[in-house]
Amino acid sequence: MSQPSAETMIEARAVEKWYPNGFQALRGADLTVRRGEVVVIMGPSGSGKSTFIRTFNALEDFQKGSITVDGIALSNDLRNIDAIRREVGMVFQQFNLFPHLSVLENLTLAPVLVRRRPKADVERQARALLERVGIAEQADKFPGQLSGGQQQRVAIARALCMEPRILLFDEPTSALDPEMVREVLEVMQALANDDITMVVVTHEVKFARQVAHRVVLMSEGVVVEEAEPEVFFTNPSHQRTRKFLDQIL
Amino acid sequence: MTTVLRRLRSELFPTRGDGLLSIALLSLLALAGVGFLRWAFFQAQWLVIRANATLFAVGRYPAEQQWRLWLLVGLLAAATGLSWGVLRSHPRRDRTGRLWPRNDRVAVAVLVLAGLWGPWALGLPLHLQARWWGLLALLLLIRWLAGRHGRRLGPRGLRLVALIWPVLYLSGMVLISGGLGLVAVPPSEWGGLLLTLVEASFAILLCFPLGVLLALGRRSDLPLLRWGSVVYIEFIRGAPLITLLFLGQNILGFLLPGGLAPDRVWRAAWVLTFFAAAYLAEAVRAGLAAVPRGQFEAARSLGLSYPQALGKVVLPQAMRVALPAMVGQFISLLQDTTLLSLIGLMELLGTARTVMANPAFLGKNAEVYLTLAVLFWCCCAALGLGSRALERRLDPQTIPSAS
Ligand SMILES: Nc1ncnc2c1ncn2[C@@H]1O[C@H](COP(=O)(O)OP(=O)(O)OP(=O)(O)O)[C@@H](O)[C@H]1O
Ligand SMILES: [Mg+2]
Repeated sequence: MSQPSAETMIEARAVEKWYPNGFQALRGADLTVRRGEVVVIMGPSGSGKSTFIRTFNALEDFQKGSITVDGIALSNDLRNIDAIRREVGMVFQQFNLFPHLSVLENLTLAPVLVRRRPKADVERQARALLERVGIAEQADKFPGQLSGGQQQRVAIARALCMEPRILLFDEPTSALDPEMVREVLEVMQALANDDITMVVVTHEVKFARQVAHRVVLMSEGVVVEEAEPEVFFTNPSHQRTRKFLDQIL
Repeated sequence: MTTVLRRLRSELFPTRGDGLLSIALLSLLALAGVGFLRWAFFQAQWLVIRANATLFAVGRYPAEQQWRLWLLVGLLAAATGLSWGVLRSHPRRDRTGRLWPRNDRVAVAVLVLAGLWGPWALGLPLHLQARWWGLLALLLLIRWLAGRHGRRLGPRGLRLVALIWPVLYLSGMVLISGGLGLVAVPPSEWGGLLLTLVEASFAILLCFPLGVLLALGRRSDLPLLRWGSVVYIEFIRGAPLITLLFLGQNILGFLLPGGLAPDRVWRAAWVLTFFAAAYLAEAVRAGLAAVPRGQFEAARSLGLSYPQALGKVVLPQAMRVALPAMVGQFISLLQDTTLLSLIGLMELLGTARTVMANPAFLGKNAEVYLTLAVLFWCCCAALGLGSRALERRLDPQTIPSAS
């Protein structure tokens, strides 16, 4: 496991968010992620995990507190948001591949459009990435023709093709059949060995133990516990964490 | 042959009761058919159509300028042949592309039959008949050539071929109305099928972007935009087109300063456009609603801007869903142009009414209406066929992923 540097990549301070219907999903959530670090977020359903990591790339706005990503303050300034989205990739529970584009086009769309890179270049890189996630031979198929596990690996490759410095995962294996979970986790584990920063919402304990540098527990819109995996799973300091672990272990 | 007979038998005469019913229905049909044919061949007097063929085609378009329309038809035939052939020479990936699939052979047969029979049946002078045959030959020749050599076009060339159509449309408008050195032919002299097609195509082309904007406005987060779109759409959909047409004739003249106020033909075209846009917006909205929110989020998280996410990810998927409903709108728009006769425009129905009012052709309504119906049917069938072809081409031949 590569060691994270001291440099801060994501810094969230006392983030509070209300949804338009008035529901407060975040009640002062804090998190600091260092460069190259892999942080796993756990917590009961509805505790605000998705909401929290979606604020990191401005898919959700927030009303109080501050978030800084790679030195750029997240504000309402649209230029900042665009800059941050280029640095932050996201992998969704439901894959969200573009069904009207081939696998290869799914990967090349953003780099060509957003980074204005030459198409031939991007295609070469895209094929290499597909090779890396183990589905090189599917490049010309459409997403609907792939299995769930293959789709999620394409989604990871698609995010990587933008060469982000941070990758966010929102329950990447929850929509998969058990036998496909492993192939996706293996890809993620391989990624963690590079120096990319990863924030992963997941309930995969084994992954958290083997790959994460830190595991945090969210509950009711705040980060309750933050610890190294061994400590988190064997000797957590909060009652809440123990209760949560009792339920999932 | 025997399988056909067997199938007919199993479908028409599965049981005795059904058999009797089938026989009754078939004889009714036969009776009606024979009656119709007797009327069409022995009683109907098609002179009313032959004598007014030009009027039905182009209205009072000045005879000495009609070469421009011939030129336009020639260009249309060439562009159709070219696009058709090029399309066939570039089959969609994973699909075995045949250069002359069965549908195309049927289409050619229909074209040849109609192209040879039509001008003759209309009793056109020989040199005009020959002109139609020449146009037909041109279309088929270019279709054949493009099919054979279209492969050589790269993606660049393909885009150029697609670009022919907007260019052709604009130059067609110039050819029809004049300008750029051509003598101006004011819209009041256009008529018949020409005017119907100008009005319908103008409205179809412009209501499309307008409808998309309205649909987006209706889903917008900005209250002003959202409510503006809702009010517009509901107002238009709540009013009958004919009232809007009358309103348009009166109001547009007041709203726009003197010189800018378009004349009656264009005023009507704008009203049609605004009318169709409201309905189209609803079709597009249904399409947009069918695209999961995650698609937009995935696009945004990859760094695409709002317009990029919309144009490259959301709209292409929404359009595929909305296409059948949209074409339905276009078809009814085409038919709605007949209402223009009520505000005094000489489109197909308006022309028909003046012809039927002519004492020389009194009582020939059936012949005229039947011809009109067939003409409209042909135009709508063409729209329908085109849309189905487009739908098949837009289909990534997969069930969209379950997301
Ligand atoms: N668009 C929304 N409008 C209103 N409330 C919302 C919205 N999205 C989420 N919520 C609420 O915010 C809270 C946090 O939701 P969030 O999706 O972040 O939870 P989560 O921890 O990711 O849960 P899960 O494990 O089920 O994914 C939940 O109570 C949810 O009902
Ligand atoms: Mg969630």
